[in-house]
Amino acid sequence: MATTFNLSSEGLAFVKKELGRYETPYSAIIPALFRVQKEHGWVSPDAVIFLSKTMNLPEAHINEVLRFYTMFNTKPVGKFHIQVCTNISCAMNGGRELAQALCKHYNVQEGQVSADGKVSVSRVECLGSCDTAPMLQVNMDSYLEGLTPETAIKKLKEMGA
Amino acid sequence: MQVKLLSEHYDKPEFQALGGYERYGGYVVLAKALKMDPNAIIEEVKASGLRGRGGAGFPTGTKWSFLPKNGEPRYLLCNADEGEPGTFKDRVMMEKAPHQLIEGMIISAFAIGSKKSYIYIRGEYTDSIRIVGQAIQEAYKAGYLGKNILGLGFDHDMDIYVGAGAYIVGEETGMISSLEGLKGQPKLKPPFPAVQGYLRKPTIVNNVETLAAVKYIIRDGASSYRKHGTEKSAGTKLFSVSGNVQRPGTYEVPLGLPLKVLINDICGGLKPGRKLKAVIPGGSSAPVLTGDEANKVTMDYEALAQMGSMLGSGAVIVIDDSNCMVDILSTIMHFYHHESCGQCTPCREGTGWLNKIVHRIADGHGESKDIDLIKKVSEQMMGKTICALSDAAAMPAISFVTKFRDEFEAFIKKGQIGAGGTAHA
Amino acid sequence: MPDKSVRIKVNGQEIEVPEKSTVIQAFKQAGVDICHYCWHPGLSIAGVCRLCMVQVEGMPKLQIACNTEVKEGMSVNNTSDVVKETVKWGLDFHLINHPLDCPICDQAGECGLQDQYMQFGSYDPEMAEPKVKKEKVVDLGPTVVLDKERCILCSRCVRFTDEVSKTNELGIFNRGDRSEIGTVAGKPLDNNYSLNTVDICPVGALTSKDFRFRQRVWYLKEADAICPGCSTGCSVKVHYNEEGVWRVKPRVNPEVNGHWMCDVGRNTYKYVNLKNRLLSAKVGKRDVWQEVSVEDAVRSAGLKLRETKPEEIAVVFTGQYTNEDYAVAFKFFKEELKVKSFFHWLNNPDKLNEFDGLLFRGDRNPNTKGLENAFTTFGGKSGWDNLQAGLSGRKFKTVIVFGPEDQSVFPDLEEKIKFLSSAENLIWLTACSNSMLDSLGCETWQIPVKTYIEKAGSFTNFEGKVQSFKAGTTIVAQALTIAETVDLMAGREINWNLRPQGVGGPKINYAIANRGQL
Repeated sequence: MATTFNLSSEGLAFVKKELGRYETPYSAIIPALFRVQKEHGWVSPDAVIFLSKTMNLPEAHINEVLRFYTMFNTKPVGKFHIQVCTNISCAMNGGRELAQALCKHYNVQEGQVSADGKVSVSRVECLGSCDTAPMLQVNMDSYLEGLTPETAIKKLKEMGA
Repeated sequence: MQVKLLSEHYDKPEFQALGGYERYGGYVVLAKALKMDPNAIIEEVKASGLRGRGGAGFPTGTKWSFLPKNGEPRYLLCNADEGEPGTFKDRVMMEKAPHQLIEGMIISAFAIGSKKSYIYIRGEYTDSIRIVGQAIQEAYKAGYLGKNILGLGFDHDMDIYVGAGAYIVGEETGMISSLEGLKGQPKLKPPFPAVQGYLRKPTIVNNVETLAAVKYIIRDGASSYRKHGTEKSAGTKLFSVSGNVQRPGTYEVPLGLPLKVLINDICGGLKPGRKLKAVIPGGSSAPVLTGDEANKVTMDYEALAQMGSMLGSGAVIVIDDSNCMVDILSTIMHFYHHESCGQCTPCREGTGWLNKIVHRIADGHGESKDIDLIKKVSEQMMGKTICALSDAAAMPAISFVTKFRDEFEAFIKKGQIGAGGTAHA
Repeated sequence: MPDKSVRIKVNGQEIEVPEKSTVIQAFKQAGVDICHYCWHPGLSIAGVCRLCMVQVEGMPKLQIACNTEVKEGMSVNNTSDVVKETVKWGLDFHLINHPLDCPICDQAGECGLQDQYMQFGSYDPEMAEPKVKKEKVVDLGPTVVLDKERCILCSRCVRFTDEVSKTNELGIFNRGDRSEIGTVAGKPLDNNYSLNTVDICPVGALTSKDFRFRQRVWYLKEADAICPGCSTGCSVKVHYNEEGVWRVKPRVNPEVNGHWMCDVGRNTYKYVNLKNRLLSAKVGKRDVWQEVSVEDAVRSAGLKLRETKPEEIAVVFTGQYTNEDYAVAFKFFKEELKVKSFFHWLNNPDKLNEFDGLLFRGDRNPNTKGLENAFTTFGGKSGWDNLQAGLSGRKFKTVIVFGPEDQSVFPDLEEKIKFLSSAENLIWLTACSNSMLDSLGCETWQIPVKTYIEKAGSFTNFEGKVQSFKAGTTIVAQALTIAETVDLMAGREINWNLRPQGVGGPKINYAIANRGQL
C-alpha cells in the first residue's frame, strides 16, 4: 500500500542506526516508534507500514509492539499531552481530582484533544513518584510533582500550555 | 534506625557524575573484584544472603549459579522497569547514583562471565534514562567499560534499553521479550532465563538495588553485609514509602525493622488525628495488612510471609482512616486489568471480571454475593498462569475483601462510599 | 522412532512414550481425553489457554501438560478434583466474554468450546457483568472472515502465519481482555495457506468465506481422499451431503502434508459438483448431437477404435488419472488393440519443477509420476512432435484423450482441443463439461468419467510415494470409471445394477431465499 508517511532524514538515520545497535533488528522497533512519535506526536497506521518497509520487519509485528505499550499514542494527542497518575498513592492524594480539574481548565474530555489541538489529558498508571503524589508527566518530559490543581495549572502555563 | 549503606551519598548532588562518585570511593571495588576469582564473588554473594530486591526475593547468588558452567555467551539484564505501584526507589538510585549501579553491574557481570549487559529502564523515567546514559558514557571514557577494563583483562559492554509503558515488562521473561523487540509478554518456563533467556542465551535478570548491593558485599565482605538485617533477610533495603504519612520518601533501613518504626519514626507518622487503617507493605500486589497487623509486623521476607503478605519491592503504602477500601481496591483492580498482557486466559479474563465486579460495587450496585465471587474468581486466578501477574491481581482482591469484609458489606448495603472516603472519581 | 522411551502413568494407566515427549502427547498417545485449546501438534507451544492442567505427583502446583516433559516414572492425572475444578474455571474464563451466538455460528457442531464445555464444563455460569464488545465481522482478506468477540486468543492462527506460512499477516494487538487478532491495513491475510487458520481456529472466530453459512456441519459426511491439486498429494477429507461436496480439509499425514494443505487444493471440490460436470454422454459433431445412453456412446466409441488401424490411433494421457486407470488403459490399448502411439499431454511444462517450499508444486497434476511410471512399464511413449506430425499428416485418424479432470489447470486446454480435433474421430473422456467440445467439427465422443472423489485408486506423488484412496461419494451417477469405460469399449459387460446414486445438487433454502422479500 502506498504511504505518504515519512521521517526526517535524521529520523531515518536514527532508525538505521538502531537497527544495528542491538543483537536483533526487532529490538529497534520500540526506538523507531518513539522516533516516529517524537516527530509526529503519534504513530499512525501509515507509519507502521513505513517502518515495516524501512526496517524490513513484518507490519503485524510492528503493530503488535505499537499496540502493546501504552506510551505510544495510536491517535493524535495535544501538543501538551498531560498524563496524570491516578494509581493508589496519587488517587489517595487527589490525583483523580487533579485530572478532572485539568480537563475542566482546558475544556477537554479525558482522552480527547482540546479544540485548539494544544492539550490532551489522560489518566495513567503509576509513574514511580508516589512520594510526591499527586503528580503528572507532560509528553515524554520530566515529572511535575507534589501538585494541587492550582500549582499544576500554573506550572503548565509556564511551560506554554 | 536508618542504615545508609547504598544511600550513604545520595544527599550529595556531585555523587551523580563520575568525578564525584570517584571522590567517594567509586570504582575502587571494581578494581578489587576484577582481581578476584569470579566464583569467589558468586560465593561471597551467596554467603551475604542477598535476595532479589525487585519483588520475588529470590537468593541472588543461587540464581547466578543456575547458569550453565560453560563458555556460552551470557547476558546480564538490569531490571529498571520499576512499575509496581508504590515503588520509586530504583528511580532514586538511578538519578542519585548511576555509577553505583554500573559498578555493581560490572562486578556482577564479571562474576557470571557476561560480556554484555543491558539496563532496561521504563520509558517514563526520562531523567533516569538521561542520567544513566551519561554515566555509561563516562564509564566508557574512563575505561570502566569496554575492552580490558582497568587493564585487568575483562571486557564488558553495557547499553540501555528504553521501555515504552508496560508493567508486565518488570517480570523477567516479559522484560526479555521486550528487549528482543516483541510484546513484553512473559515466556513459558521452563526453560528458565538462566538457561535460555535473551535470544535463547543464558541470561540473569536482577533488580537495580540488587546489583548495586553487590558492590557493597564485595567491598565489605558478606559477613559485614549480614550484620544488617535478620538471619534470613540479610542486609539493608530501600523502602519507598507513600500514602498517608507525613514524610513520604525513599529510606534505607535494615531488613527486620518494625513497620511501625518506619511509619512513625522515620516517616513522621500519620497526619494528626488520623488512625492507621491499613498498609500495603510491598507494592500493590502484596496482600494488604490491617492497621493492627501493620503495628506488629517487621519488614523482612519471613515476617511478612507469615502474615500472609510479602515484602515485594519494598513499596509501603500507608492508608489512614480517611480512605475507603472499596475505592482503593477498585484502583488496584483497574491497574491489573489495564496491565494484564492478555496471553493467559485466567489472567486476561479474570482481571477484567474482577475489575467489573469491584467497580460495580464502587458504583453502588454491589450485591452481597459479590464478595464471595471476588474470592472465588481470585482463587482460580492464582497459580494458573505463565507469570505472577494473575496472582498479583488476585492477592490484593482476596485480602481486601477478607480483611475489610465488614466495610465491603456495609458499602454494598448502603450502596455508597463508607468510612469518610473520597467519592470514587 | 526415537531410540529411547520412558514409562509413565497417565490417570493410573501405565504407558511407554518416547523420551522428550510432552505430557499432552502422552495423553494423546494413551487415548485419554484432555481439555486444551492453544496446543496444536503442528505449531510451537504457547501454553496460554491454561486448560491442559494436570497434577504431576510430587509437584505442588498444577502443570500444563503441553509444556511439561515426561520423565521416567512420572505419574500424572487430570481426574483429581482440583484439576477438574481448575479446568471448569478455565473454561468459564474462556466463556465469560464469548458471545452465546452458537445458533448463528458456523463453527457450531465442530466447536472446541461447545465440545469441551459439554465434556469438562457443564456448570452454571456466575458471570453477570456486561461482556467486552468487539467487532463481529472483520474482513481479513480474500478467504477469511474474523469475529473478534468469538476469538479466545489461543494464538494458533498467529503462530501459523508466523511459523508455517511465514507470511506474518496476523498479530494479536492490544493487551488484556482488549486483545484482538487482526491484520494491518494494507497487508491482508492473503496467502495460499490462509484457510488452515480456519481449520485450526478452535472456535467460530475465523470462518471461510467459501464455506460460511452454506451448510451445517452436522449434516455433512466425510470421506478421505488425496488432493488432486498438485503433485504433492496431500491427504485430505472431503465433506459432502446429498447435494454435493462442500469443502476439502486436510487430513494429518506426517509423511506428506503434516497438518496442512493449500488453499488451491481446497478448491478442488468445486469442479466435482454437478453444475460443472458432464452429466451424460454426447456423440456427434458441431450442432448435431445424438441423445444416446452412456453405454451406447462408449460402445460406439469402442467400435470406432476397433475399426481404426492400430497405427492410426493416438492415445493422449493427462496426469490426472490413477495408476490403476493408466494400467487398465495401457492393457487395453497396447495389448488388446495393439496401439503404438501414446502421448503425454503436459499442461504446464515450464512450471513442472516449481515448489513453494511448503506443499504447493508447479506440477498441477496428482499423478504425473504415475503416468511416467506407466510409460516406463508399458512402453510406447511418443513425443508430442510425433503427434503433431501424425495429425497434420493425417496419419492418426482416431484420437482418444484422457482429458483433464480439473480443466482449470490446463491453460492450453482450448488450444489443445482445437489441435486434437484435427483428427477424424475424437474420443474425449472427461469429468467436466466443456462448451468447446460441443463445437468441434470432427466426429466427437464425450464420455463422462468419475472424479477423484468418486473412484478408488492410487496416485504417485512427486517423490514416488504411492497413495491409495477409496471412493468417497458419487456425484454423477452416469459417470464411469476408466475400467468400466475400457470394458465397454472392449465389448464386455459391466454391472449396471451396482451403480451408486448421484446427488441432487444444491437445494434452495426457501427460508433464506424468501427472506429478501420479507
